[in-house]
Amino acid sequence: MADMTYRERILTTLHGKRADKVPFVHLWRRLQTGEAEREARNRCMGVSWQRPCYVQSMPHVEIVERRGPSVGQSTTLVEYHTPVGTVTERLKKEPGVGEWKAQRSWRDVTPWAVERRIKKPEDYDVVRFMVEDTVYKADYFPIEQAKGWLGGDGIIYANLPHSPTQMLMIDWVGTPTFYIHYARHRDKVEELYRALDRRYEEIYRIAAESPADAVMFGDNLDGVLVNPNLFQRYFMPTYEKCARIVHEQGKPLASHFDGRLGILKDLIAKCPQDIIEAFHPPPMGDLPVREALDLWKDKVILIGFPGSVFSLGTDAVRKYMLDLLRSVIPGDRIGVEASTENLVSDEHLLVLSGILEKATLPLSNESISKIEHFLE
Amino acid sequence: MAGHQNHLKALKDGVANLDFEGVQRAAEDAMREGVPPVRAIAEGLAAGLAVVGEKFERREYFLSELVVAAEVMKTGMSVIQPYLKGEGVKARGKVVLATVRGDYHDIGKSLVATLLSVNGFDVIDLGVDVPAETVVEAVLENRPQILGLSALLTVTMPEMERVISGLRAAGLRGRVRVIVGGSPVTEEFAEKIGADYRAADAVDGINKCMEWVGSTGGVESG
Repeated sequence: MADMTYRERILTTLHGKRADKVPFVHLWRRLQTGEAEREARNRCMGVSWQRPCYVQSMPHVEIVERRGPSVGQSTTLVEYHTPVGTVTERLKKEPGVGEWKAQRSWRDVTPWAVERRIKKPEDYDVVRFMVEDTVYKADYFPIEQAKGWLGGDGIIYANLPHSPTQMLMIDWVGTPTFYIHYARHRDKVEELYRALDRRYEEIYRIAAESPADAVMFGDNLDGVLVNPNLFQRYFMPTYEKCARIVHEQGKPLASHFDGRLGILKDLIAKCPQDIIEAFHPPPMGDLPVREALDLWKDKVILIGFPGSVFSLGTDAVRKYMLDLLRSVIPGDRIGVEASTENLVSDEHLLVLSGILEKATLPLSNESISKIEHFLE
Repeated sequence: MAGHQNHLKALKDGVANLDFEGVQRAAEDAMREGVPPVRAIAEGLAAGLAVVGEKFERREYFLSELVVAAEVMKTGMSVIQPYLKGEGVKARGKVVLATVRGDYHDIGKSLVATLLSVNGFDVIDLGVDVPAETVVEAVLENRPQILGLSALLTVTMPEMERVISGLRAAGLRGRVRVIVGGSPVTEEFAEKIGADYRAADAVDGINKCMEWVGSTGGVESG
């Protein structure tokens, strides 16, 4: 039987069926271009590309951006003037030519808020006005273009922002302040949450009806920061709503759960997502893949190769990958992402692709030992 | 004196139940009724915080409640502080914190700062994207017992090593304990770069800092 195309391999797995091999992908925005990348791509490495599916505007909000001696050179001060008040935030924006942040390319990456827009209780009303004033319009060009470029080399996700509560915790308030506001001004927090939850239905629909292969719904989940009570009360209902709309269009729904998930593992089992993307096993996460597969029987797990293992060198990367494959025998419902965090060195990309090009399904101890011997 | 006990219990319960208004009211009542402010802090607010810690251990509370408890405690302290007069609250220890150069992740470090502060530490938070030289200068200037470094990216982790090298070069390494944290930071890495401890999470880090400084801090009469 001829090998599947990378696209077929990934999609077969994402739909919960057995592919010819364990899929191996790299995120487009982390992908270096060159000799090692070509070698890895020739072996087995597909591309996973998250693309926007809509544009947005706020017709009644005046946005003023300032940068210069009075506000600092390295960040942009953004003022949002609305009829009900003004909020400001300070952003680290996409760098210019020759500038990189921590050696990470900022392609496809949203600006980094170094000072968030909600600082005090009154700011919630202003931001709620902005949320309610936002107009969303479908724009599928980025997805169509990427699909055309990739062909059989990979898949496209329609990208959604963080879910409403994560939008508050991560993007607009900041987690420690969110905890305090939630304790002291819960009505304000919940009003904004409900406004976001209501408005997001539009973008769920836009994403669901897009030509993308699947929908990616945030969410940078970490169980240490998002406790089970918050998760159950504010995250799960949102996921249900999004999944209902996405599933109506026959698309799988993925979420970027890259943190420590141990404390949420039983609740995640009840969530409607089809794909847990960027799942980080120990040492960065706290839940082994085997346990997650056993608990989440209807979900596909895309493993984000832990960056901390890369820091231990090539031998450690090889051993970790082989041990990981052994732990998931027969290897159904999993895929491997080279990294969801950083650029990966050429050397490590070749180690991973060297193993995974031979990871034919179903995996067995014998087949993994053969891969190991081949590499020696 | 029985009245004092009631006020102390109200303070303790207020912190343990994360009750901002309750603590504010209890602190005002306690001060009005002449409860010694040092007792109000030690046997009221701090005792409540200990209950919060126990609930956290039992997983009745989570990190969010620890942060809120810290804020509740601050509310009580703001009422009691003016009554301290000559009495003082001695800092348990001094900690300098930074997210290293190239890294803008602030959540973990900010949580650690909040929790250290409420546990009686004097915290100097240098912020994010802090160059190694700035960290070394801050250690030289502030003479902390502990330096905490955070990194969330494997590519910024080497900055931690640069800081430790800088401390050595400045002759400061022997004077400060270095604790490192952040999800990609492993024990092996911490050992390799010569850090004293790798914190698995914010609470682990706080516990280690408390262990290092012992119980020498806390409340004392001035």
